[in-house]
Amino acid sequence: MSPLLMGLLGVMLVPLFLATWRSSLLGLSLQGFLIAWAAYRLDPNLRAVGTWFMLVDLVLVRGIGAPLLLYRILSSQKRTARNDIIAPNLLSWTIAFGLVLGAFNLSAALVPVDGDQRAIIAVATAGVLLGLLVLASQSTAFGQIVGALRLENGIALFELGGEHRHHQGVVIELGQVAIVAGTVGLYVWLLRGFPEGSGTPAPSQDEPTL
Amino acid sequence: MSPLYLILVPGLAALAVALGVGRARATLVLVGTALLTMVLALIEVLSVPRAQTGFLDLVRVDATSRLFLAVVNPIFLGISTYIWHRVRTTPVLREGIARTVSLSLFFLASTNALLVANHLLALWVLLELTALAATPLIVRPRADAARRAAFRYLLFSTVGLGLVALGFTCLSRGMEVAGFEPTFILDRLLQLGPALVNAWTKLGLGLVLLGLGTKLGLAPMYSWLPETYDESPPAIAALLGAVQFNAALVVLFRVVQVYRVSNTRLMADELLTMGLVSMVVSTVSIIATNNIKRLIAYASINHAGVIAIGLGVGGSATYGLLLYVVSNAFIKAILFLTAGKIMAHYKTNDTRVISGLINELPYSGVFLMVGTIALLGFPPFGSFLGELLILSALVGSGRMLTFAAFCTLITMTFVATGRTVFPMIWGPSKEKHDWPRQTLPAALPKLTFLIALVVLGIYIPPAFNALLQQVAVSLEGP
Repeated sequence: MSPLLMGLLGVMLVPLFLATWRSSLLGLSLQGFLIAWAAYRLDPNLRAVGTWFMLVDLVLVRGIGAPLLLYRILSSQKRTARNDIIAPNLLSWTIAFGLVLGAFNLSAALVPVDGDQRAIIAVATAGVLLGLLVLASQSTAFGQIVGALRLENGIALFELGGEHRHHQGVVIELGQVAIVAGTVGLYVWLLRGFPEGSGTPAPSQDEPTL
Repeated sequence: MSPLYLILVPGLAALAVALGVGRARATLVLVGTALLTMVLALIEVLSVPRAQTGFLDLVRVDATSRLFLAVVNPIFLGISTYIWHRVRTTPVLREGIARTVSLSLFFLASTNALLVANHLLALWVLLELTALAATPLIVRPRADAARRAAFRYLLFSTVGLGLVALGFTCLSRGMEVAGFEPTFILDRLLQLGPALVNAWTKLGLGLVLLGLGTKLGLAPMYSWLPETYDESPPAIAALLGAVQFNAALVVLFRVVQVYRVSNTRLMADELLTMGLVSMVVSTVSIIATNNIKRLIAYASINHAGVIAIGLGVGGSATYGLLLYVVSNAFIKAILFLTAGKIMAHYKTNDTRVISGLINELPYSGVFLMVGTIALLGFPPFGSFLGELLILSALVGSGRMLTFAAFCTLITMTFVATGRTVFPMIWGPSKEKHDWPRQTLPAALPKLTFLIALVVLGIYIPPAFNALLQQVAVSLEGP
């Protein structure tokens, strides 16, 4: 496995144990940059328009935009530094390592030839499964957003796993970038509206609705 | 006529309202655009006899597109008329209405684009766009619960559609492994035939079905649906339940049309399991709830379960399944809009408080009564015939255990729904109210849906029947 993919696996795993919201956001940002680097290595001459779109998505939206916007909201809400995105106990940690192991076994079953392709699929699958673990462990909005973005990053890496990356046409690739940017924007907008720890909100039915 | 007009008309109107043009009469712009788009959609439906492809191979109008264009656009017009009437009679709702109109029209443009898309990834992008447009519509001013529901809706959409994207990537690898040039263009995929069977396609299909199941409210990832439908304004709940549900269903139909031939067993098993579990979950929830909108939401999960079972069985069930789908689109629109009217008057959604509707709100009482009877699958409605055909196909395919479970669950749903809804309609009035008079224009959208529902049950026009049969054949499988 290349140092790049090992580093990527590292930034997927380490924030699970550091348990601060800043490390979660740094982890997300590094994931975006490292996946962008992996995409660049597959098409270093940047000949395809689709590669440009992908790099814009990975660097500007996932690497910089999403973590920075979330950082600003959490800073303004004066959150305490600690934030466990999985339960801080031996069972959760074992499950996390088990998922990584499972991801490597699955990739070995799917890609018979050992090499970069198998390693990319393994790390991407680990990213997807760890994202799902975070989602399953979290009840706070911030934690769930982190889980969803981890999942999205895993999927982005998975898309690099084929023998050849197949570009789908400018319209669709632009649409994919717009979707990621729109989703991040909406998460930020919604998160800004509710401070954490406000409990279960009471439904308000007194006001007329459409 | 180019189907691009179905996207451009609402898309440009959405942009115009967002930029401030016609803001003062935003609801009229909404109704006018919805009416124009519906007319264009009906022209498209009636004028295209065979599947046609165009615009960089991205657009394809076939029987599936035409069927759902004919269903979705009239329903959107009905919901728009309801919104126009609500805003006209309740001035406080004018706050932020331009944003609602702009997003609703963008939602319609995305839905129409999805219905005519000829590319699996384009379908995914467009379904995500409808979710992005719908999320702010769920949020209401000064309602934290609605904001949280919008958040959960977006989260589940992201996760569900993320799984779909992952599944599509696996399907693309499956094509590579099988020796084909990977493509997502439907025309080309439909020509690949039964060769696409390998570990990648199986994994991909499993993920795609799970992800689309999430969008349809199928178990195991259904929990967003009751909360979202409950907290959304009724008009938006109708949009989600009757329009977006069908958009997600079209994506599922496209996947089934391409991959059923090669992966019949896998699709049948996964769809039947998800369908049955969804029916169990929804039946238990219907028994437990006292909230009218949640009741309709759980009924939607139940419907999604029936649809998944019908699709899983395939064969002769598909015609019944389509009748059921089309009928349910109208039923959900009727019920959500009626629930909105009832809640606006009673200021509650508690079914134990609402009573004597047939005397106090006669139109709403009749709509709730007829909607519930259609919901429960009684004659003369299309849902009755649809369920009957699905049951018959279950027996015909030898799935007797599924048949028995299906019958037990719909009987329990019938009893639980009737026990909750019928006292609301025919029970004694609990308080003396002075109700404002109900006008025909307010009831017109629901009345139109009701007529469509009855027509589907007793006399299906030959042209529409032919359309249903064409789509049914494309979904049948081997």
